[in-house]
Amino acid sequence: MFAEIVTPELFASAVRLATPIALAAVGASICERSGVTNIAMEGLMLVSAFAGVAVTLLVGNVWVGVFAAIVASVVFASLHAWSSINLRSDQIISATAVNILALGITGFLMETIFGHPGTTDPVKTIPPMYSVPADAGPVWTWIGTVFFSYTPIVYLGMFLAVFLTWALYRTRWGLRLRALGEHPRAADTVGVNVLRGRWYAVLISGAMSGLAGANLTLEQVGSFTENMTNGRGFIALAANIFGRWTPGGAYLASLLFGFADALQLKLQLFSDTINIPSQFFLMLPYVLTVVVLAGVVGKAVAPAAIGKPYKEKG
Amino acid sequence: MPEAKIGTPAEELDAERRFALEQQRVKRAITIATPFISVVIAMLVGSLVILISGHSPAEAYSAMIGGAFGGWRQIGETLLRATPLIFTGLAVSYGFRAGLFNIGAEGQLFLGGLAAAFVGLQVGGLPPLVSLPIIIFAAFLAGAAWAFIPALMKAKIGAHEVITTMMFSYIGKYLVSYIINGPLRAEGNIPQTTELPIASQLPRISDLLPFVGQNRAHIGIVLGIIAALIVWWVLKYTVMGYEARAVGFNPAAAETAGISVASTTIKSLCISGGLAGLAGAVEVMGVHYRLFDQFSSGFGFTGIAVALLAKNNPFGVILAAILFGSLSAGAGTMQLEAGVSQKVITIIQGTIIFLVGAEMIVTWAVARVRGRKGV
Repeated sequence: MFAEIVTPELFASAVRLATPIALAAVGASICERSGVTNIAMEGLMLVSAFAGVAVTLLVGNVWVGVFAAIVASVVFASLHAWSSINLRSDQIISATAVNILALGITGFLMETIFGHPGTTDPVKTIPPMYSVPADAGPVWTWIGTVFFSYTPIVYLGMFLAVFLTWALYRTRWGLRLRALGEHPRAADTVGVNVLRGRWYAVLISGAMSGLAGANLTLEQVGSFTENMTNGRGFIALAANIFGRWTPGGAYLASLLFGFADALQLKLQLFSDTINIPSQFFLMLPYVLTVVVLAGVVGKAVAPAAIGKPYKEKG
Repeated sequence: MPEAKIGTPAEELDAERRFALEQQRVKRAITIATPFISVVIAMLVGSLVILISGHSPAEAYSAMIGGAFGGWRQIGETLLRATPLIFTGLAVSYGFRAGLFNIGAEGQLFLGGLAAAFVGLQVGGLPPLVSLPIIIFAAFLAGAAWAFIPALMKAKIGAHEVITTMMFSYIGKYLVSYIINGPLRAEGNIPQTTELPIASQLPRISDLLPFVGQNRAHIGIVLGIIAALIVWWVLKYTVMGYEARAVGFNPAAAETAGISVASTTIKSLCISGGLAGLAGAVEVMGVHYRLFDQFSSGFGFTGIAVALLAKNNPFGVILAAILFGSLSAGAGTMQLEAGVSQKVITIIQGTIIFLVGAEMIVTWAVARVRGRKGV
């Protein structure tokens, strides 16, 4: 049974399932490093997942759908940015509002456009960039499947994790961004525009969550179902914490959650032999999140100014 | 922003203090007005959405009002839906008072429902005056237990309760799904528990007051009002409530004053969870008489909107719960008669949270109206 479970496909599926979480988590690390918490990613992924499918069905081009997903998410992220940065409202509450609005708007548009609740019509998903030929040898089957069998946004996510790590630690922008989250007053004093810097960070996080939503519907599932994100936005936040607020760390932490998800899906296929009810497998990613948080929080240090609205001295 | 004037430090301090006092006065007035203004604006946003979707807001809202208050049956339905919201609203607001955001009330509600279904099936032989309190107490404990690990993690290592309670929400739903498919599954094709014995059911109001005609409202609404009174009393007159408020207001100061922030956090989040558990109990005991997958229509999440709109005031919670109960009761009629998707009430709900959360919007608007230079 072990050989049936541990296949190249298991690891490839882990990477695929990790991708929406990872994209959102990498975005979260940027956002939170600037001092703004973002628990709105759940809602951002939801609106982008819906916008991606709806626009693809409307226009007939999946890349226009991806673009629409990013735009929708950025628009909703700017609500969170406006409320939490300019209006200085509680960041958790403003993000909760965005989450509930996202649930309502996607549900409303679902029924208005498609005439019924539940699931949209299917779209043709973006194909993987390479598929391993059936007659490949075992070595190439492993390497090809685990490293080369993904869809474009999956690779984009990997690239962005590396790129943003570099940007955060090796560029002036990154240094300033980190200053905003540690000591905004000091950053302000030396002439960094705190509010604008935070706005950009939230919008980047919005764009990343948009990619996450696009990946979920346009590369994986192929249709939108109400509330289909199922807590991934919150898991992404935990992954960001586990990754110690670094884009690279957040990405790697997400792989762990992706692996847990892939494993539970695989194990469900063997539920006859293993004889554990499927609900316990389904719980696994959520239990893992709690366990990871229990193990890591307290050791990882959050940005000092996180969650605190900044008021410019007028 | 006040215009920065050059003066001695003492003068500046004095001006600042007067400004602060004036601000405080305005702020208090706004705090009271915000919920009402927010509801009005949210309804306007809702009508805009209805308009864009090609329907008439007037028609939609009048259908909604008819569906919520058009007669005893409709009023009963509004109260029926307000009942769990009172409990989840109290749950979330008790957490807020102690500085905790119990976003996972939905999961605690599921566990409360599970306990009510399980215990309710065991105590059917007892007289209702004995069995009902036992079930309700069990549901409270179950909800509190489900909040305990997140509470412990918050108190001991600072893990954010927003993530942990949310994760426990999903875990709780899958647990309930397992139990109604496995150990407690009734005979038949539908995964659900067997019906509760009469002694474990909450009586309907129409059984006690026949003049209200046939409707589904049950005495859970009275329990909700009692719970609101108790929560109000606990917060105002007990040491535990005082400690919760002190920790919510300023944990560092509370700790300095000798209050254990850790134990207050644990107690407060567990009480919050217990109250959410009661919401599950009233749904199982008063509405469905059994437990199944979809027995809650997101009451835990709507509880957040209720608490915020009520500004965490227990009596405000009752009013806000009735408002959201009426929206939910009227939404079905609106969909039937005006053809507008009932999801519009979720949009209204989100807008209300957004506006109440961003008190600055109202502050800003009021300042404009008063012709003051920004507040």
